[in-house]
Amino acid sequence: MPKLGQTVEEASIVRWHKREGDPVKKGDVLFEIETDKAVLEVESFYDGTLLKILVREEETVPVSSTVAFVGEPGEDIPEEATKPAPAPKQPEPKAAPAAAAAPAATKPAAPVVGATAAAPSPVAAPAPTAQAPARVFISPRARALAREKAINPDGIHGSGPNGRIVARDVEKYLADKGYGEIRISAAAKKLAIREGIDIVSVRGSGVSGRIMVSDVERAVAEKPKKMSRMRQVIAQRLTESFTTTPHFYVSVSVDMTDLMAYRQVLKEQGGTYTVTDFIMEAVVLTLQEFPVLNSVTDGKSVRWYGSVELGMAVALDEGLVVPVIRDADQLSMMELHDAARALAGKAREGKLLPDEMMGSTFTVSNMGMLKVESFSAIINPGEAAILAIGSTGETPVARDGRVVIRSMMNMTLSADHRIVDGRMGAEFVNAIKDKLEDVALWKSMT
Amino acid sequence: MEKYDVVVIGSGPGGYPAAIRAAQLGASTALVEREAVGGTCLNWGCIPTKTLIASSDLFARMNAAGELGLSAEGTSYDYAAIVKRKGKVVARLKGGLGQLLKANKVDVITGTASFAGRNRIAVDGKTAMEAGRTIIATGSCSAMPSFIPSGKRVVESRAFLDMTGLPGSMIVLGGGVIGCEFACMAAQFGVKVTVVEMLEDILLMLDADIRAELRKHMEGRLGIEVFTGAPLVDIKAGKTGVNGKFGDRTLKAELLLASVGRLPVTNGLELERAGLATTDSGHIETDSLGRTSVASVYAVGDVTAGSTQLAHAATAQGINAASDACGQRVPRAEQVVPACIFTAPEIGSVGLTEREALESGREVVTGKYSFAGLGKAMAAGETGGFVKWIADAATDQLLGAHAVGPHATELISEATSAVAAEMTAAELGRTIHCHPTFSEAWMEAAHAVHGEAIHQPPRRRK
Repeated sequence: MPKLGQTVEEASIVRWHKREGDPVKKGDVLFEIETDKAVLEVESFYDGTLLKILVREEETVPVSSTVAFVGEPGEDIPEEATKPAPAPKQPEPKAAPAAAAAPAATKPAAPVVGATAAAPSPVAAPAPTAQAPARVFISPRARALAREKAINPDGIHGSGPNGRIVARDVEKYLADKGYGEIRISAAAKKLAIREGIDIVSVRGSGVSGRIMVSDVERAVAEKPKKMSRMRQVIAQRLTESFTTTPHFYVSVSVDMTDLMAYRQVLKEQGGTYTVTDFIMEAVVLTLQEFPVLNSVTDGKSVRWYGSVELGMAVALDEGLVVPVIRDADQLSMMELHDAARALAGKAREGKLLPDEMMGSTFTVSNMGMLKVESFSAIINPGEAAILAIGSTGETPVARDGRVVIRSMMNMTLSADHRIVDGRMGAEFVNAIKDKLEDVALWKSMT
Repeated sequence: MEKYDVVVIGSGPGGYPAAIRAAQLGASTALVEREAVGGTCLNWGCIPTKTLIASSDLFARMNAAGELGLSAEGTSYDYAAIVKRKGKVVARLKGGLGQLLKANKVDVITGTASFAGRNRIAVDGKTAMEAGRTIIATGSCSAMPSFIPSGKRVVESRAFLDMTGLPGSMIVLGGGVIGCEFACMAAQFGVKVTVVEMLEDILLMLDADIRAELRKHMEGRLGIEVFTGAPLVDIKAGKTGVNGKFGDRTLKAELLLASVGRLPVTNGLELERAGLATTDSGHIETDSLGRTSVASVYAVGDVTAGSTQLAHAATAQGINAASDACGQRVPRAEQVVPACIFTAPEIGSVGLTEREALESGREVVTGKYSFAGLGKAMAAGETGGFVKWIADAATDQLLGAHAVGPHATELISEATSAVAAEMTAAELGRTIHCHPTFSEAWMEAAHAVHGEAIHQPPRRRK
């Protein structure tokens, strides 16, 4: 398993491109791996034959583990290396294979596909999440019985030595669950055995509740599937943030009418600024007035960041990525626009590098194009706040005692209450609002 | 005004069982019929055609009786007498059905029904009754597209059944179920038959092997000319015959039987007064229990969108709809519907064809067994044809069954039970079958799914 940089400790194999016994040429893609940040292809360093695969698809191992052997057909493979792949966090196996057999290629290829990952973080990367499933001790007879009956033995209480599940435990489970009452078609049972479905948990739709193939097919479709590494990391980080950071929210609605009109003028002159560009620029300017919003706390100390590293959330089919505009406070409006456009393009093509998604200090999440009026975002770990932008739409509003139609946009700040108070949050969002409503400001900047 | 819990419109194989079922469940029930109880099936479809085919089949066997050591010299038939017998069979069944309806206290009302409102039914234009629930079972009629000229020498199936004599030659336009059944029947009586089908083959919905076998028999043994893959054009009908062009060929015959499909009967029903619309093709959309978009109105059989145009499917739908209309929960409608075709040889089919199974993304295995390998078939002198199982390679589930040959329309029922019950090929193979019978073919073919048929040389497996 190639080393993938300073922070990556483990990776899982997504897919083997070669099978045992296949000839391998130097430069051939041997397998694909996935880390919490990216999917990469790994090429062979050597010519030869793929003798033995030690780490199967979907298994996760520490970097520098031996995952396979390439050598001459018939060559001996060191015995200890053929043992099952080590669980994560265990010492890696001796990677000194016999002279004749070379360790499988380890050169990390350039990221090639879907190199996307979860929100960046200036704090320590989360601990690896993959765990080997708790091993179920079960006698061969009990296992065979469970299989024959199309039930899942994992949850059965074992009464044998060391809690081992023995045949009578399976029999007791069957009796307790009223197994004898279950009616199931022969084909449905075969399918259940094949797909590892416990028929005790399947509701039958046939006559008198008989379990039919369609019922088992539904259970198969409902079977929990492992999430991608990327999704798991998103889950872990957002849970951590939402459960450990006391969020509070303030919303304002912004009159975008004049800015939209000005943008139209710019557009006719060939300008390409997006609404997001104006919002991000307003945020960058305001963050410099309110440095507390550009900080992070652990509850005991607070760290003010010296620059604005602006995260911009980009929705992809497979999840959310947050590329980071570096030193956004040092950029001109045009530079900010260019940087944002380049990152968004890379994100959609799946070409973001892990480094481009790390180290943001404040994040803007714009769902305006997704037709929502307003929403609240979860603060990225390592930041003090996040700004959620809704869509801009024509709205009747009161102006000078009259109802007029204006283009209104809602934005909601989520802030960490440990360092940001309500008053500061309110002042911050109003400062952004004031800027967005001040066309003179934009005329001076574009 | 009369009040009924359930009013059924149409007394065919969808309508009359619905009426009886509703009455069984205690509903006051009316059945409105504008022509004859029993509908197309009993009067101008299933039953009369099978009566004619019974005669033509026996006639064909008589002519081949020499093989069985019998002599039947100078065989002949009296078609008028055959048609008369058909009339008697139909009359008897109709009489029985009338009594059955009466015994169940179903009020049979003669006239054309239409909706006067969501829960009001008019008969012959006059508002006649209030209906708690209405079940539409108006069926279908033969399509007669405008490219087919009208005339004395052009008939559709219903008019054909009333003819008291057979033509010397006949073009059957449309190689579907009706066309092929009439073609085989007429050919057995010695009529020179030509079938023209616009699509690439006759009976395209069948498993390809079954189709090929039938076509072989139709062309080889019955001497039917079958033209497929192009339409019959320039059709002209004169006083003594018809002709048309198939490609460069001119086809001529004394009679043209048009069997190009059937259309739903909804005109005159004033469905819009019930708040119901039809599809572009005139069908009524329903769910699997016959429920329409109007809560109190059901539709079953050929008039529904997605109909299989099979009498027994209509019956099952009718019973489900009536049960639901009477407040009895029907857990789910049975989806496994067998099909029978009374060609020579007969065809029975249920579940998926090999192609459909493959297209569903499964790995598929098949098992075939020829009647020629059965002692009973040989003893009976009926060795043509075979049965075929389609099974899921992964679970061994029997997904479909197809039979072409003697008694195939009877044999398919065993296979239907197996497919509906989701049996595996191994289970069916273990089921003990009577010897010597034609049914043994299913058992042998189930073994053949695993390459283990006893009475079949081992084949090399892929």
